[in-house]
Amino acid sequence: MSIHNSMLPLTDPVLVSAGTRVPRPGATLARRLVRRLPTVIAAVVLLFFILAAIAPYLLAPDDPLAINPAAAFSPPGPGHLLGTDESGRDIYSRIIHGARPSLLIGAAATAAGLGLALVLGIAAGFGGRWLDFGIGRILEVLFALPGLLLALVFIALAGPGVGTTVLAVALTTAPGYARVIRGQIIALRASPMVEAATVLGRSRWRILTAHILPNALAPVAVLATLGLGQAVLWAASLSFLGLGSPPPAPEWGTMLSAGRTYLSLAWWMTFFPGLAIVILAGSATVLSRSMKAASSQ
Amino acid sequence: MTFAHPQAHKLIPAATVLAAALILSGCTSAKTSNDPSKDAGAPVTGGTLVYASGDAEPSCLDPHVGGNYPQALVASQYLETLYTKDADGKIIPWLAQDSTVTEDGLTRIVKIRDGIKFTDGTALDAEAVKVNFEHLLNPETASSTGYLALGKISSMTAVDATTLEIKLSSPDNSLLESFSMPWVAIESPTALKRSKAENCESPVGTGPFKVESWKKQDAVNLVRNADYALPVPEAGHAGPAYLDGITWRFIPEAATRFAALQAGQVQVIDNAQPDAIAAASKGASIKHLDAPRPGAANRIELNSSKAPFNDEKVREAFVHSVNVDAGIESLFFGTASRSYSPLSSVEPLAFSEKSLFSYDPAKAGELLDAAGWKDRDSAGYRIKDGNRLTLAFPVSTSQSIPAEQSLFEQMQATAKESGFEIKIKLLDISSWYGDLAKNDYNLVSAPYTKVGPSVLSILFHSKSTIPAPSGYFANLSQVKDPTLDELLDSAGTTKDPAQRKELYTEAQKMVLEGYYLLPLYDQQNHFLYSEKLKDVGTTTAVASPTFFDSWLAN
Repeated sequence: MSIHNSMLPLTDPVLVSAGTRVPRPGATLARRLVRRLPTVIAAVVLLFFILAAIAPYLLAPDDPLAINPAAAFSPPGPGHLLGTDESGRDIYSRIIHGARPSLLIGAAATAAGLGLALVLGIAAGFGGRWLDFGIGRILEVLFALPGLLLALVFIALAGPGVGTTVLAVALTTAPGYARVIRGQIIALRASPMVEAATVLGRSRWRILTAHILPNALAPVAVLATLGLGQAVLWAASLSFLGLGSPPPAPEWGTMLSAGRTYLSLAWWMTFFPGLAIVILAGSATVLSRSMKAASSQ
Repeated sequence: MTFAHPQAHKLIPAATVLAAALILSGCTSAKTSNDPSKDAGAPVTGGTLVYASGDAEPSCLDPHVGGNYPQALVASQYLETLYTKDADGKIIPWLAQDSTVTEDGLTRIVKIRDGIKFTDGTALDAEAVKVNFEHLLNPETASSTGYLALGKISSMTAVDATTLEIKLSSPDNSLLESFSMPWVAIESPTALKRSKAENCESPVGTGPFKVESWKKQDAVNLVRNADYALPVPEAGHAGPAYLDGITWRFIPEAATRFAALQAGQVQVIDNAQPDAIAAASKGASIKHLDAPRPGAANRIELNSSKAPFNDEKVREAFVHSVNVDAGIESLFFGTASRSYSPLSSVEPLAFSEKSLFSYDPAKAGELLDAAGWKDRDSAGYRIKDGNRLTLAFPVSTSQSIPAEQSLFEQMQATAKESGFEIKIKLLDISSWYGDLAKNDYNLVSAPYTKVGPSVLSILFHSKSTIPAPSGYFANLSQVKDPTLDELLDSAGTTKDPAQRKELYTEAQKMVLEGYYLLPLYDQQNHFLYSEKLKDVGTTTAVASPTFFDSWLAN
């Protein structure tokens, strides 16, 4: 899983270069800007989509549900920036309006997944050997099942819908987070800081809340950003399979699915929603790596 | 696997072969009008045709059980019927020789052709036909289409080997049309004695192909019936089918199915999408067979059994609130034309009334105001007594092609302007049946194929609101009108063809003017096939293609 790999500091080029470079005074600013450029772009993109989610009509004044059969399958052009779909709906408007469900599902699913992971991770890392053993095995079982399959089983049992999608994605991503959190806690438990607190006679609860959690949570913020991108992908996959928002809701995965019927006729119906998913997920990944690099420095 | 040759099949004693060979050639006959009769070149024997169906894989290959179109498509290759339709759409005898009816219309004598054998060696006789009809009428078979078609049969006697006497509870002038449908096809009585599961797996008929194996979720493998001979010699070539066999595959994804055809992995696809047909028509390597199904037109039925469609004004308002024509034009690329009739355009008695179905939001608004749906909520939907004007619309994703689903979305958008909230629910077929059984729908689009205008009785007679043994009921608009029932009953029993036409026209007027349905277009039945496959175009009475005369060019 990518989460684990990206948590290993040595594999991170941003971190390695940041640690070894000795900048010359005159070039510092320019270098910094160039080095930070991906981060800046990612942040701008993410902000753009957040704005789209909060106030879609600001960016796309047209109704994403307004049909115009006479203008069906229009290619990208002046009238319709990104073309139209089979009912003549404007793809650009639908992508902008689709940012809300995508981001909302992504954020909610990440929050739910992290919440579940925190409980499991703390219990495993701080709850004693047997609890650690038990939770560890459960997580291993969950890891053994492909994530999408787990989500599909959950949706099959609970029925499709936005709420179920959120929970399904949360359930799928939680084991990965839980492992990372447990690892952080175990590492911190052995740290001199916690040793000192124990020697000073602090209670376990106080050690957890005052020393371990604040330090363990910093990587969690990085994980959450990374997880957001991943959750958006998961949500899009599920609605692509027809398990997300019902039609004609402008949801990126649903749009992809509708467009695939007309792939040879109207590539833009599939390409642009796909691009939106890639850009959003990619930005979240870039941003999370920069955050990690910053927090490790 | 594309051109895998099936195993050689057992030869039945030479005498049988000789006798059978005397009665010659092709399966069922109706040539569709757009298809020229013969392709150039001498037919080549051999090769396995790969057919890719877009329909859901049937759960049973015996079309007696349940009885839907996907079953008819595959069963048309290995089962045959007593009657069929000729190239002009006339009903002609097939496995039957002839048939007469008594003056009172209550007794029908069917003469069965002599010398025909099922592929398991059992002889076709009057007793065999009787066993088949009993099988269909037995509730344990859970037939719905065939069961309804034979509903008037009260008893049967096999008078001798070739004479079957059928007693009817009331005269039925559409019985021969019913006999022409694959859902009442004749199977080997020996095979029918097996368990239901076994018979579903490998039904045995008299057709040009027989079921060799069925690998679920993959393919049904059919092999040539080497002893086949046409019941009606002039309907096709002499001897058995040219093809060694047919691999009947299921590729539900439309784009994948078309891509498989383009790549040459399959030679025929059904449920061809409008955009694919439009794309194929530009080249020469893929050909198109358009075979509109008989029976009902594709339509949306308005559930009159509950609010808000128990009010005729609301039904009328709905019909005027949706813009169907613009959608058909843009989504179907000229492959479908609008219907204004409950019946398919291939039905000679179809009656159309275009003036009733104009897109007229102003009129819709007036009607809704008059029906008490005056106010609108913040979302723009009409409300009455605090309830929103919401219409539940379960859509079966396996029965509605993507273009049709998009059409429904467009109707949803135009109806919204008049204040209707349509909730489209995309469902797999079993959940869809579930919603219908629970009466959890206001709008529904369900195909119904039957030969002849008697389909009107199935769709609009109050008796059809009672579920068939399979649990399905066909009167989905749930119209219960004694006057209409009487019209349909008399239309179905009269001996006078002119009166039959008049009564069926009257019945169609009633359901159209009562706004129980919104006709869309003929049931789309488009096939695309490789130009390497020759002499395609012969179809059964229900417009399912048969490949007895077809051959694969090298």
